[in-house]
Amino acid sequence: MDTSTTTTDLPGPPSTAAARAEGLRKVYGSGDAAVEALRGITIAFEREQFTAIMGPSGSGKSTLLHVMAGLDTPTEGRVYVGDVDLTTLSERKLTQLRRDRLGFVFQAFNLVPTLTAAENITLPLDIAGRKDERGWFDVVVDTIGLRDRLRHRPSELSGGQQQRVAAARALVTRPEIVFADEPTGNLDSRSGAELLSFLRQAVREVGQTIVMVTHDPVAASYADRVVFLADGKIAGEMTEPTAERILDHMKTLEA
Amino acid sequence: MWRATFKSLLARKVRLLLTTLSVVLGVGFVAGTFVLTDTMNATFDQLFHNLTKNTDVIVQSRSAFDSAGSNNADQREPMPDSIVHTIESVNGVAKAIPQVNGFAQIVDPATGKPIGGMGPPAIGASWSGDPSEAITLRSGAAPHGPDETAIDAATARKYGIGLGDRVKILFEGPSHLFTVTGIVGFGQADNLAGATLAVFDFPTAQRVLDKVGLADAVDVQADPGISATTLRDRVAAVLPKGIEAITATDFADQQAGQIQSALGFFRTALLVFAVVALFVGGFIILNTFTIIVTQRTRELALLRAIGASRGQVTRSVLLEAATLGMVAGAIGVVAGIGIAVGLQALLGAFGIDLPSTSTQILPRTVIVSLAAGLLVTVIASVVPARRASAVAPVEALRADGAPAARSLRRRVPAGIAVTAAGVGTLAYGLVGGGALLFVGLGAAVTFVGVAILSALIVRPAATAVGWPLRALGLPGRLGRENSRRNPRRTASTSGALMVGLGLMAFVAIFGASVRSSVDHVIADTVRADLFLSSSSFEGFGPDAAQVLRTLPQIDAVSEFRVVQARIAGGNATVTGVDPSSIGRVANLEMRSGSLGALRGDAVLVQADTAAEHGWSLGDPVRIEFARTGTQTFTLAGTYERDEIVGQYVIPMSAFEANVTTQLDQAVLATAAPGTSVAEAERAARSALTDFPNVQVRNQAEFRAQQAKQVDAAMSLITALLLLAVLISLFGIVNTLGLSIHERRHEIGLLRAVGMSRAQVRRMVLAESAIVALLGALLGTAVGIFFGWAVQRSLADHGVSQFAIPGGQLALYVALAAVAGVLAGFVPAVRASRLRILDAIAYE
Repeated sequence: MDTSTTTTDLPGPPSTAAARAEGLRKVYGSGDAAVEALRGITIAFEREQFTAIMGPSGSGKSTLLHVMAGLDTPTEGRVYVGDVDLTTLSERKLTQLRRDRLGFVFQAFNLVPTLTAAENITLPLDIAGRKDERGWFDVVVDTIGLRDRLRHRPSELSGGQQQRVAAARALVTRPEIVFADEPTGNLDSRSGAELLSFLRQAVREVGQTIVMVTHDPVAASYADRVVFLADGKIAGEMTEPTAERILDHMKTLEA
Repeated sequence: MWRATFKSLLARKVRLLLTTLSVVLGVGFVAGTFVLTDTMNATFDQLFHNLTKNTDVIVQSRSAFDSAGSNNADQREPMPDSIVHTIESVNGVAKAIPQVNGFAQIVDPATGKPIGGMGPPAIGASWSGDPSEAITLRSGAAPHGPDETAIDAATARKYGIGLGDRVKILFEGPSHLFTVTGIVGFGQADNLAGATLAVFDFPTAQRVLDKVGLADAVDVQADPGISATTLRDRVAAVLPKGIEAITATDFADQQAGQIQSALGFFRTALLVFAVVALFVGGFIILNTFTIIVTQRTRELALLRAIGASRGQVTRSVLLEAATLGMVAGAIGVVAGIGIAVGLQALLGAFGIDLPSTSTQILPRTVIVSLAAGLLVTVIASVVPARRASAVAPVEALRADGAPAARSLRRRVPAGIAVTAAGVGTLAYGLVGGGALLFVGLGAAVTFVGVAILSALIVRPAATAVGWPLRALGLPGRLGRENSRRNPRRTASTSGALMVGLGLMAFVAIFGASVRSSVDHVIADTVRADLFLSSSSFEGFGPDAAQVLRTLPQIDAVSEFRVVQARIAGGNATVTGVDPSSIGRVANLEMRSGSLGALRGDAVLVQADTAAEHGWSLGDPVRIEFARTGTQTFTLAGTYERDEIVGQYVIPMSAFEANVTTQLDQAVLATAAPGTSVAEAERAARSALTDFPNVQVRNQAEFRAQQAKQVDAAMSLITALLLLAVLISLFGIVNTLGLSIHERRHEIGLLRAVGMSRAQVRRMVLAESAIVALLGALLGTAVGIFFGWAVQRSLADHGVSQFAIPGGQLALYVALAAVAGVLAGFVPAVRASRLRILDAIAYE
């Protein structure tokens, strides 16, 4: 099994990766209470690929996602989205970058309760004061199959529907990369499968880049590539994964 | 259980601080009012006792009744000064010192303007220079002879008057120039409770105060070994009828008592504002606890699940409130001492100077203040406590935590019932009983009712009010949606502001109505071209009118003097007028009899008042004067317009015969035929240069002056109401802070998907502006209603016009919106600084 990282020879000429990280370290707290969540990670996420990050709880997978998405800052190392080094950006620039170039799906608290489903989908556009110029809204809405629910508020939608709205919101700006943090964590298996199919479809059909953190081997099996994390370090990766192979590899990590 | 309560209290320090503050201010105002008035009482008490320190017995004529608080507080007939010899002959009398006193206003030599007068009186008195008297010489020498005076140290210092300076002093009679030979004090005090003082030797004082051969009082000192009471009884035995001897201690107590009863009114007035502040604080407590209980639903459910009874949950919330109330009460008492100083400064800024010595903090002040804090918090938290106890144990297991929104439908009957009860009580207070307590209670209940009902209109109202915020884009929209999402919370937050704004709007409307009514009164009843009034409350000497009469440019001149008297068992103001000229300067609208009949012992009575007493023409009307006792007048006519002359009018000859102080309150005059008003005005002004305390005004100036007086009173009240507004702004800060805590995940999400900090701030500020605007608009609406109701009830008592000062109200609403935005600033910054990861972290 190939356990090396794919692009170890960076930095070099601009990479074709949608996002990458170099020598990431993240330490929470200080002194005796210091906890090292990431212990030197270098990784790249290729364009038009669906990558899953897996690992046992406490492996640092969520921290990696947060740092990659500009929601948290690394203690050491560099993070690039395209050619932009996030660690050099001001808070304002970082916010703009998240708004214009990234998409997010979280496990919960994904929607603004005072806005309708349609308004939640166009939220990043509205924040930026932009219009959906490319008609992308209709494409996304039809793909997730929620056209008849657009005027509903989140409280009137099921958990699965809410997550599909969140996914639609993440996709509507055609971001360079979508970060999904346990998007199926609160869903039953059928709703979860629907959502994952939808995400995979976005990668296959329109070339969306997606990075998803999950602890569920079945969810990870929808990805093109799975990166394993353990103790804040990369512990192998796998392409064209199946749930069984993932589970097997996970067992070696937890042992 | 108790430990859980205290832990939950301490866990929320900032919120606690803000919530406490809303009660602290109200309690502080209560404590401050007591401290201030107690201090003033103590000051006067000490002062009067110091004044009579070396005196044992005081001899004075009997007063027919106690006229404390009136403009004519010393309504006692002066005695012949020969009484001194009678007193000196009594065995045990060491010394008997006759005294006269009266009106004497010092003119500032630098500006030519009379000093003081719009507060503590301007006093002239005799002083022998005897060191046993209360007045003590600070520097220079005691005044001797007709051209010498000594003045109080405070006035001397404040106006830079020194020994040897020449000062002009105004009296009831002619003014006169004196040389200042001495500066005097009262023991340690520089002046007598803020009053200005000019002292003269006894014969000079008798002359300038128009009391030749008379004495107002005789201070009697006892031989060693003779007690004051013994001396009093001995002296009393030789005094003629109508003259009394009292011990100096009793005298000081009486004087202090008169001041205290006047201060009692002042205290009540200030307490009204304190109650308003507490009432608003109650709104905030109610709101805060409701939110806290909602946010703590799961915790409460857990307590219930592990076996806490409903009663225990209720008591735990009430205990939390009570603890907060006690803490707020304790801080409030301390703050009250500061507020007492602040109030004094505020009143000083409005020209009401008050004396003070050592600050008085009585046990009563502490107890009442603590009780007020406790009562307000506990009463306000009863509803949230009951709601807390209704949390079912199963809610502990619910994932989303937030309980389903309850229907607002039950609010309709409750709101209507409470509002109706409030309006009913208000109407009863205004029209029925006339008791101010009912008016206040009715207003308070109406506010509560409107606050209950307002939850129903929050959604559409917020949509309407927030419409312009669309210009802010998404943040504006979200702010508007946020103000709509919890109508109860928005309603009760804006409700607190509604109370302050409502009362301010009411005051503005009432002030405008009074101004407009006064204009109408002047137009309807005044025929004069010129108005003479005093720069002091005491009025001015009669010479001014005499000077005016000599001018060829002036036609009619008519004086008005007033005195407090008793009629049919009640206090009444009686006006003395000049029957020959009043008809040419004023229109009383006679209903029966005639102005011409006003002579001798005739009295005119306002028509409604006469009807109330069942008097008709020719009936006897008994008026009891402080100086001369009961005199019988004959009703010679009734009139409609009471705005200028009040309810009772007697001829000036009768006024002079029955009243000690002969000062003109006002003189009205007309220009001579063929003379322009401007010419007459010029002539009057130049002729009256020797009367610096007399102000000459034409009709326009008179109108403006009247409006100014109304405005000054209204400004003072409005300034005091600002406290309530301030408290309600704390409420906005508090509620928004709690709401933001509640919505931290949502804000984190917005930040994650790209909302900038500035946009988050704008979103919160938009919400706070909407809440403030809603409160301001509701308040204005309620204020207009109150203004209308009060004006209607006073329509027959001088407030005939209803006026809405649109510009002023619009300004209030705009300022309230701005204040709301300012109040939202702290929560807005906090919201924008929320750490995104904390906010989107799963629990």
